[in-house]
Amino acid sequence: MTVAVEHVRCVYARRRADPLVALDGVSLAVDDGELVVVVGPSGSGKTTLLRAVAGLEPLASGRVRIGGRDVTGEPPASRRVAMVFQEYALLPHLSVFENVAFGLRARGVPADEVARAVNDAAQLLDIAGLVDRRPAELSGGQRQRVALARAMVRHPAVFLLDEPLSSLDTELRLRARAETRALQRRLGVATVYVTHDQHEAMALADRVVVLRDGRVEQEGAPADLYAEPANAFVARFLAALPMNLVPAAQVGQRGEHVVGVRPERIRLAPRDGRLTGRVIAVEPAGDDAVVHVLVGALRLLVKTSWAGRPATDDGVALTWEDADEHRFASFDGPRLT
Amino acid sequence: MGGRGRAPVRLVRRAAADVTRRDWLAAPYVVGLTALVVLPAGLAGYLAFTDYYGFTAPEWAGLDNLGRALDDGQFWLALGNAALLALLVVPVRLALATGCALLLHRRRRGASLARVSAYLPSVIPDAAWALLWLWLLNPLYGPIALAARAVGFGSLGLLTEPWPTRLGIAAMLGLQLGESFVVALAARNLIPDRYYEMAAVEGARPWYTVRRLSLALMAPLLALLAVRDVILMLQVSFVPVLLVTDGGPRYATLTSPLDIYREAFLYGDLGYASALSLLLLVLTGLVVGLQLLLARRLRWI
Repeated sequence: MTVAVEHVRCVYARRRADPLVALDGVSLAVDDGELVVVVGPSGSGKTTLLRAVAGLEPLASGRVRIGGRDVTGEPPASRRVAMVFQEYALLPHLSVFENVAFGLRARGVPADEVARAVNDAAQLLDIAGLVDRRPAELSGGQRQRVALARAMVRHPAVFLLDEPLSSLDTELRLRARAETRALQRRLGVATVYVTHDQHEAMALADRVVVLRDGRVEQEGAPADLYAEPANAFVARFLAALPMNLVPAAQVGQRGEHVVGVRPERIRLAPRDGRLTGRVIAVEPAGDDAVVHVLVGALRLLVKTSWAGRPATDDGVALTWEDADEHRFASFDGPRLT
Repeated sequence: MGGRGRAPVRLVRRAAADVTRRDWLAAPYVVGLTALVVLPAGLAGYLAFTDYYGFTAPEWAGLDNLGRALDDGQFWLALGNAALLALLVVPVRLALATGCALLLHRRRRGASLARVSAYLPSVIPDAAWALLWLWLLNPLYGPIALAARAVGFGSLGLLTEPWPTRLGIAAMLGLQLGESFVVALAARNLIPDRYYEMAAVEGARPWYTVRRLSLALMAPLLALLAVRDVILMLQVSFVPVLLVTDGGPRYATLTSPLDIYREAFLYGDLGYASALSLLLLVLTGLVVGLQLLLARRLRWI
């Protein structure tokens, strides 16, 4: 089924302060079987957006449709959504089996059907051997699987995942990420996935939605967002290393705009570049090095091979192809051309 | 001897060092506990095996007092009354405290006023509470009796018939739910909101959520509250029966504490009263032990 969020506005009333606008006219569409990742810095409203779809957050205005049906104002239970909460919200006093069965039992599904559904889900997620344990006796990765099992066992129309991998360590996170993606493909359920991790967003998404301060900054396929960020914020936020931004005048261009170049597209040379500066730090990054270069008052990043790295305090020149240049109206402004 | 003898010495020394470091902070409490509870309890424990009337020195009597207690119909009657009262009051008080906590845990308009009124009966001194109920239960001009008469129930037998009086006393004790309420409220507020959101998304109805989530997660603390209330009912259900019924009518509300109080301070038989106290302590311990065993078996604690 599809999900459509239309011009949704969420406001938190705060005591002795202006009301906080968590979502300010956000729209979002998720196709059947599509995985949309909502990414943004903390406080950008991404969890609020997820909760608004789930029905856990009252809307000040706007609509939410699931499968074409207007569910605005309906309680969570009647929306056919399943949610994987941050930290998973597994009930500590119930076994894995009972945790997964919670929703089915709550809806009065007969016991033999519950057992069959739970066992199927446990098989699929490879937790069949753990069904008698309690959450406290599970590892982080196992808990994540239990939470996924609970979400899928009811055959929901929509999956809502709130930072489901944030409490896992790096190696496990990579594996769980691939498994989550594979599961979602297999079940073909429309999914909204919230994360603050742009790596995760790029790796998982059919489509990425970048949120900041309760507004959508840009949405599109991961590759498109990387190739043509709609504004300087997306350019800096949605990359392994933030894009370098330099005032036009400093690179000899006319105008008030800002020039952006990705660190991985800059070449270092001893002299004769578009900019010159001094190396203030060199960080190892596997086969590569991230070089911090001070150019006037600007700190620019350059990704270079570890073998070809300069030494700290070296004077270096920076150069790049014209095609790798992005232009923005200002340090925080929209893309030009 | 060699190493075998030295290890304990070292352990003792380390324990002593630990004591000097931090356990002094407990000193005021330990001193108070020793002077006001442990010593008197020890003394009573000794007196339980003597004949002692307060005028002459206690005389060693061995197990005579305990033997007498086993044949003492009035003691067992009083214990039965106390147990009956506990059976009536503990579930009612627990249910009321839990119910109030579940209803009043959210910050809403009027919630704080309601919380105060739930707690109020526990703030009022026991004696004042007892006097209030003496009026409420009065068979001639008390409001309950008047109301019953007005709708044609006649006299309910409050304070004159055994069962109505027991129920009246049980109501009076059951409504003193302040402390239980506060603990239940804290237990409810310890449950994270996200569990309730999960339940809402999973489609759990309110009653299912209360049963499987709230009560299940509050169970360990509620079990301890039940244990505490049983102890209270068996050991200190004293002021109300002394002031409101004086054990009557026809011994219907004579509870163990009142019985022991009478043996000690009305009949002056301090040695025998001490023996009864000791017996009551042991029996209460048994009941509490059974309760804890049951709670553990049910995986509440």
